[in-house]
Amino acid sequence: MIEQFTQGFEMAFRLDTIVFICLGLFGGMLVGALPGFTTLMAMAILLPISFFLDPLVGIPFLLGIYKGGMFGGSVPAILVSMPGTGAAVATTLDGYQLTKKGQSRKALDTALVSSAFGDTFSDIFTLVMIFPIALLVMQFGPPEIFAVLLLSLVIIAVTTGGNVLKSLIMMLLGIWLSFIGTDPLGGVERFTFGLFDLKSGIPLLPMLIGVFAIPEIVNVVMRSTQGQALAAVVGDRLKWSEFKRIFRTLCRSCVIGTSIGIIPGLGQVVAAMMGYTAAKNASKTPEKFGKGEIEGVAAAESANNAVNGPTLVPLLTLGIPGDNVTAILLGAFVAQGLRPGPQLFEEQGATVFAILIAMVIANLLFLVIGYLSVPFFARLVTLKNSVLVPIVIMFAFAGAFVFRSDSIDLLMLVAFGAFGLIARAARFDVMPMVMGFILGPPMEYAFGQTVAMAQNAPLAFLLTERQGMLFLLVAIPVIAFVLWRRMKKLATG
Amino acid sequence: MFNKLWKGVVIATAATLAGTVSPALAEYPEKPVTMVIPLGAGGSHDLNARVITSTIPSFLNQAMIVRLTPGAGGQKGTQEVAKANSDGYTLLFSHNYIDMLQQHVENLPYNPMEDFVPVARINYAPIAVVVRADSPYQSFDDLITAAKEKPGEVRMAHSGNWGALFVPAAQIMKARDAYFNMVPYQGGGPAMQALLSGDADLTMGFPSTLSSLLASGDVRVLATAGAERIYPDVPTFGEVGVEGDVGFMHRVVLAPAGTPPEVLEKLEASFASLLEDKTYNRMMSRLGENVDYMSGADYQKMREEQAKAYKDLVASITQ
Repeated sequence: MIEQFTQGFEMAFRLDTIVFICLGLFGGMLVGALPGFTTLMAMAILLPISFFLDPLVGIPFLLGIYKGGMFGGSVPAILVSMPGTGAAVATTLDGYQLTKKGQSRKALDTALVSSAFGDTFSDIFTLVMIFPIALLVMQFGPPEIFAVLLLSLVIIAVTTGGNVLKSLIMMLLGIWLSFIGTDPLGGVERFTFGLFDLKSGIPLLPMLIGVFAIPEIVNVVMRSTQGQALAAVVGDRLKWSEFKRIFRTLCRSCVIGTSIGIIPGLGQVVAAMMGYTAAKNASKTPEKFGKGEIEGVAAAESANNAVNGPTLVPLLTLGIPGDNVTAILLGAFVAQGLRPGPQLFEEQGATVFAILIAMVIANLLFLVIGYLSVPFFARLVTLKNSVLVPIVIMFAFAGAFVFRSDSIDLLMLVAFGAFGLIARAARFDVMPMVMGFILGPPMEYAFGQTVAMAQNAPLAFLLTERQGMLFLLVAIPVIAFVLWRRMKKLATG
Repeated sequence: MFNKLWKGVVIATAATLAGTVSPALAEYPEKPVTMVIPLGAGGSHDLNARVITSTIPSFLNQAMIVRLTPGAGGQKGTQEVAKANSDGYTLLFSHNYIDMLQQHVENLPYNPMEDFVPVARINYAPIAVVVRADSPYQSFDDLITAAKEKPGEVRMAHSGNWGALFVPAAQIMKARDAYFNMVPYQGGGPAMQALLSGDADLTMGFPSTLSSLLASGDVRVLATAGAERIYPDVPTFGEVGVEGDVGFMHRVVLAPAGTPPEVLEKLEASFASLLEDKTYNRMMSRLGENVDYMSGADYQKMREEQAKAYKDLVASITQ
């Protein structure tokens, strides 16, 4: 094992590997920064190139795209409040506020450093703990996933913003919106009013861009005077003293993100929100969160990147892809004649370790490439509003459209934009709605699976097969109550 | 190998950049051909399509672009192609369950038989019935006996209603008059994971995805689809009393009905020529897929049989 490891170490340090990782990182960053173009699409399109490369070049290349794309997604979130994925939503909370305060460069630096830190932490953790993680992954079935999602939603509802009742209303609205379309379990149409356009549901991007970016665009247009820019300056870079200040938050988020990554099928959205909530909760100055606190950006970005290592574990140890990104990686592996699975470690152990080590190398290269490109991105917001706003509007519409290439999505974008403005005027936070919309479907699915497993007798099923779950059923309301009390105290005191 | 690749890349890039290449020749194809996949990224259709589109340009003399249009269980992408111009520039890469089964389960916004003509069957994947290695079910008959004795106690993890794992299971239940408790998962991967973790007693899988788990001794195959045995000591569906076109996923390229015959001819010839391409064959074998090409006309006969068989199946299961 140790021998394979050291052998893998030697194999990973190759010039062509490093060059292709850089290409992947750079390309991924550019694609990720365009809302609507997902990293997944970039990986799928570039997958055939990896067929023709050496395994230790092709697979790190794809991983580079993935890692670059994750950071790229935070760029529009920070600069123009336009999250391109659910994972970047938590980043907008403080990132965009920092931009408005003229600290876009610091916000991007924080996102970069936190992403690389989270990635490196989870990659190294995965490298060392791959077999224990593989065993742990097996412990999580549909009932456990349901419980974790329910707990996450409850935590988000009680800790976001001021009024818990308003948060709950918005969250239920989000969950209801996710019901529209074809029911994922039974295939029955729900709330579609017989319209085929609604049959595949409401897509995420028009909602994200609509409720987060459109109100900001309107805000800027209403307020700006001739020749004004969103931010006059890009501000300083991240200072070493600030890095030391956020270090605790980074570590906490890494643990949260990596733990969530172990649970199959939950991923980055939950991790980012939980990392953010935990940081806010632990902070001595929680009132600064949401008003431009670099800790908020750090917490979200390190947590969503820390998910990446453990999500690879079922792929590497069992040959089972847990999501679409790992499915593409599986394609890249098998096209190279490497079939991930139990014997891959026995037969090709050195190669697998080399790939994991290449991931760590990718993180370091990513810091360098990111550090060099941040100033260019940051400068965007110093453009005059008369130039920037049309560009942002174009990207908003293009981003909403390109995901499904369906013109109905443009109408949805406008509708969600209007909704975002009304909600803002009525002081309703849209965050719980978006989270309900994103996490509602997997929660519903896990619930349906549990009921199916239990043959419509959930209680008997829990008593015979999942005794541990009963404990959680009691724990969730208690956790919710304690958090609610704490938040109330913070708000008043 | 690299020459082939570069040829493909050069043609693809030139065609994409120029938009319309060589307008003087009014011969199909004048511009890149789009192949719509009504499924998500990273699935087996996506992977197969990436192999096809990186090798077919040298026969088609045009680029072929993949467009993923998932949604509504495959209906979104299918409808998009049904509505597209029947000029051969928009094709559909689908499979038999979306193509011929869904019409019996739901009201579709298109008529699969009237709105599409098959261009080529690229390949097919036979399904295998899989249990854990420590499962009490040593043979297919053990499984059926258990499912009959305690209806609903045997949990079967599948990849979604009327999907590639669900339909063969339904066909088995119908043929052997047994009942499994069908638990859905979001794809074949999570379903296999449920089997390994003990949440499910049974699942189905394609041999291409099973090889490593079989080699490590984690799972056991009880039966496989097809007339011939895939594993020497594992019976076929026919041998265990499940007859007919059961458990095959056919990956098929369809064109909108009304596509001119000369265009179809060119397309058919290009897909048929893939068989001669070394890169194509090697890539497909690495993916664990066969290259069993079938012409559109031959596959049309199969579609007609499928339509009838699926109608009976859905009627018997949902009544």
